[in-house]
Order: sequence, then structure tokens, then C-alpha cells
Amino acid sequence: MASVFLAEIMKLKHTKMHWLVLLGILPANLVTLFAFMPKIAPDGTPAGIDLQDMFYRQGMTLTILAPFMFALMTGYIISREYQERTINQLFSYPIPRVRILFAKLAAVFLLIAITSALSCVSVTAAGLIMSFNQQIDFAVVWSGIRMNLLACLLSFGTIPVAAALSMVGKSVIPSTVLGVLATIVTLIGEMGHGMDGVLFPWLMPYWPVRDLAQGLAQSGPNPYAASGAAILAITFVVSLLFCIVYYEKAEIHSGS
Amino acid sequence: MSIILRTRQLTKRYGAKTVVHDVNMTIGTGDIYGFLGQNGAGKTTTLRMIMGLIRPSAGEIELFGHARHGDKRKTMERIGAIIEYPGFYLNLNAADNLEIHRRLMGMGNKESIDDALATVGLLDAKNQAVKNYSLGMKQRLGIARALLHHPELLLLDEPTNGLDPGGIKEMRQLFLKLARKRGITVLISSHLLSEVEQLANKIGIIHKGQLLEEIDCETLQKKTRHYLNLKVTDEKKAAYILEHMLGTTDYVAAGPGVLRLYEHLEQPDQVSSLLASNGVGVKEMALSGDSLEDYFLKLTGGEGFG
Repeated sequence: MASVFLAEIMKLKHTKMHWLVLLGILPANLVTLFAFMPKIAPDGTPAGIDLQDMFYRQGMTLTILAPFMFALMTGYIISREYQERTINQLFSYPIPRVRILFAKLAAVFLLIAITSALSCVSVTAAGLIMSFNQQIDFAVVWSGIRMNLLACLLSFGTIPVAAALSMVGKSVIPSTVLGVLATIVTLIGEMGHGMDGVLFPWLMPYWPVRDLAQGLAQSGPNPYAASGAAILAITFVVSLLFCIVYYEKAEIHSGS
Repeated sequence: MSIILRTRQLTKRYGAKTVVHDVNMTIGTGDIYGFLGQNGAGKTTTLRMIMGLIRPSAGEIELFGHARHGDKRKTMERIGAIIEYPGFYLNLNAADNLEIHRRLMGMGNKESIDDALATVGLLDAKNQAVKNYSLGMKQRLGIARALLHHPELLLLDEPTNGLDPGGIKEMRQLFLKLARKRGITVLISSHLLSEVEQLANKIGIIHKGQLLEEIDCETLQKKTRHYLNLKVTDEKKAAYILEHMLGTTDYVAAGPGVLRLYEHLEQPDQVSSLLASNGVGVKEMALSGDSLEDYFLKLTGGEGFG
């Protein structure tokens, strides 16, 4: 499995994938820097840098862009084998096709993890700077890390849907269209700050992000989290099973 | 000679359309098998079935003495192939593309990459991105990839597509070298009669999905040899004259009063006067025999190749 995974990573060498990762990390880092704008506390004194707010802004930006970016990454990794006509060779290797699929999904997961990790560079830097002149609340730091880990994991839940569309369409376009639509819905959902938004699988990563929000009308544990997680789990399992069956049964013709 | 690849009643249907019909192909170890047919005859579909890229509707494929659906890993490790078009990761250079192949084949030896590139004359271009390669260079790289893991059987689907005449000649010499020196069995599909003719020791002719004939080149040459067709008054006496006065035994009796003489085709007047001067009447004399192309045209009902 390791060699198949490493081969998948190697295939990304000299591609434009790093631009896509950059597209994900730059807005999140820039939006986070808003926390450095001068702010006044209710008692009239200058307010310090709010790490929790920084994590919230970073999480929101990332989870809004995530459906589009991650669907595009998945679409590229899956469909390029058809576009560049390497699928003949790929399916001729003495490797089970399902292992090839898992290696591709693992490569997508790695890209999601890198994007998530790099999107909180500004927060991390701000936290380090703050640690020199004030007490850091490590509970806040941990909640930010936990939010990123969960958002990363939950973002992966919809990846097999993008993979399925890419392998059926043999093109990056279907997954990109899906990503754009999901991002629009996610943007609307996150702007509304509603708790029930997490029932939409692509909005599920917003669940841990919302927990860091301050001053929202509705707060506390999200009552829709369990249902949202179940819907996402079903989406993941069903689409993954589809991908496995499709890859296993696919016949590779001249036009493939 | 053992059988390395055998198909039995291999068939592929798409709905009501049968694109490959009951193909029985037999390739022995060390053969260079020319799989000849027009575009759309079913060559690539047959090769795809052998490689497991599409499932046969009926029939069996036996590779290295075992059914195709057996241990895929062990079987595929022994085959190198280019099916239709050598696809590569265009962003990578040749060495990286072969490195991916090496990893996926589970090979340990990295040096074999340079060896394979040197074999096809691409060692100097190994660090060049494949997107900058010409079609001919991609074909060569495809062959290098097919050779990298030292296969016993090489399946090459139209391997000289996109090559210039010099490149075609080089590839032909390479395939012959691989077969003779390394003992690799080669199956080459082509729609070019001249290409197959110069390479193969066995030819399978596929037309409209059916394998019309599988024939070794020796038999084919006999079938397509030119001869003087002699209708004579006394064939026994004529045969005696041919052997003792003309000094040839390269003739056959082809019926009462008919002889086929395979030599002295350039001197028909000498043959007829020799027979006549020795009391054998020559009723008819004609140069006969098919060219390879004529033979194939007859077989395919007049539809030409390429």
C-alpha cells in the first residue's frame, strides 16, 4: 500500500496542486489577520488579540472554500488517469484496483491535512508572539487544534462523492461543479450561523467551527450534530462503496 | 515449444454487436506473433481482454499455462504491454514515469530504469518532461516501460504509430533483438502488412472480429510462392526432364498433366523449349501465385489493409 501511495504523491510533482493548496491557505490566513485590527473592549480599554476569534475566522474561511478546493483536488487526482490515458497502464498493474483507489483517497486526505495545517499558520504565529508578553489560554489553543482536526476529518467525508463523479464523468468538471454548488450552499449556511445547517454533509465541518463562535444567538451543544454526523457517515459509506464497485467493475475502452 | 498465451472461443459482445468472435489464438514461447487486421477489426479489444482491462463475454484466456482469472499479480508481473497509446504523466520526466512504474510493479532495482531508457535510446532525454516528447519518443518510452520489469511476454498494440521510417526500422530491430537475445515472446498488433511481414514468425489475421487464419510464416511463404504453372502432355516425362536436364527438384505435381515449377521463373522460354525438344508438349504455361497482399485480400473478401 505504501508504494502505491508514494506513487500517487509522486504523480503530483510539477503539477499546479500547490497553487490549489495556496488558494485554500491564503484566504484563511489573511482573514485571521483581521484579529490584529485595533479593537476596543466594552469598558473602553484596548482589547488584546483574541485567539479564539482567530481560530473561528480561520475555520470559517477554510470550511467555506473546502468543498470547492477539495472536490477539485479529488477530481484532478481521479480524472487525470482518464484524461492523460494512463488508466490502461494503471489497471494493468498487479495491484488490486481497490488499493489504487484507497491510495488516491489517501493522497487527497494528505492534501486536506496539509491545507488545514497551513491555514492556521497566522494563528500559530500570533499565539507564539502573544506568549512572549501575556498568558496563553491553552484551552483555547486546544479547542482551535481540535476544531481543525475535526474539520479536516469531516471534510474528507464528502470526498468519495467527488471521486465517484470524477470517475464516472472521466473529467474534473463534474466534481468541480459539485464543489462550486456545495461551496455556495456552505457559504449561505455559514453566514446564517444556523445549527441545522450541519444536516447538509458539506456543512458538517462547520459544526466544530461554530463551537468557537462568540456572541451568537443560539449557543451550546448543537442538537443536530448527531443527525448531521449520521448523514455524513452514510454519504461517505455509500459513495465509497460506489467508487469501489465502479473501479472494480470498470471496463477500460478506447475512449476511456 | 510451450504455449505462453492461448485464447479459446474468446468473444466480446456489446449488446447485439459482436466485436470479437470466437478467437482461438495460440502463441508459443519465443514467437513474434503478428496480429494483423484493419482498424476496427478487433485487435485492441482482444489485447484489452488479455490484459484484463475488459471482461470477455465468453471464452477463456490462458497465460503461462494458467487461466487469466488466476493469480493476477504473478501473471501481470510477467507481461509488458502498450495498449493503444502509451499514456504518461505529462508533468513528469521519463525517469519519474518509469520510477512510478517500478514502484507499482514492486521492483527493487532502480538501475533498471536507465537500462530500459538506454535500450530505446532515450537515456539522454530522461530528465525532459514527457509533455515535451514527440509521439515517437512517447512510443519509445512506452516500450521502455513495458521492458522495465523484464517481462516474458510483450504485448504491443500498434507500437510503431507515430514513428518515422527510421524509427520504425530501429523498433523492428529492437523487437527482433528482444525476441532472439532475451527470448521474449512478442505479440505485435498492426494494420500494416509490411510491418508484420518483416517481423513475425507467426501471423494471426483478424477481420471483423474473427480470427480468419493463424499461420506460421514458413507455411505462408509456401502458400504465396510464385511458380510456373505447366500443363504438359506427359507429366512423368516432364518431371524427369526437369530433374535431370534442368537440374531442379523444386516442383510439385498439381494434378493430371499439371506441374508447378518454383524455379527458373525468369526463363520460361528455356523451360518450354527444353521440354518440347525432348518430346513433351507444353499446352499452357503461366506465371502464377499470390503476393502476401493478394493472399490477405482473398482471405478478407477483398478488403485491404491499412
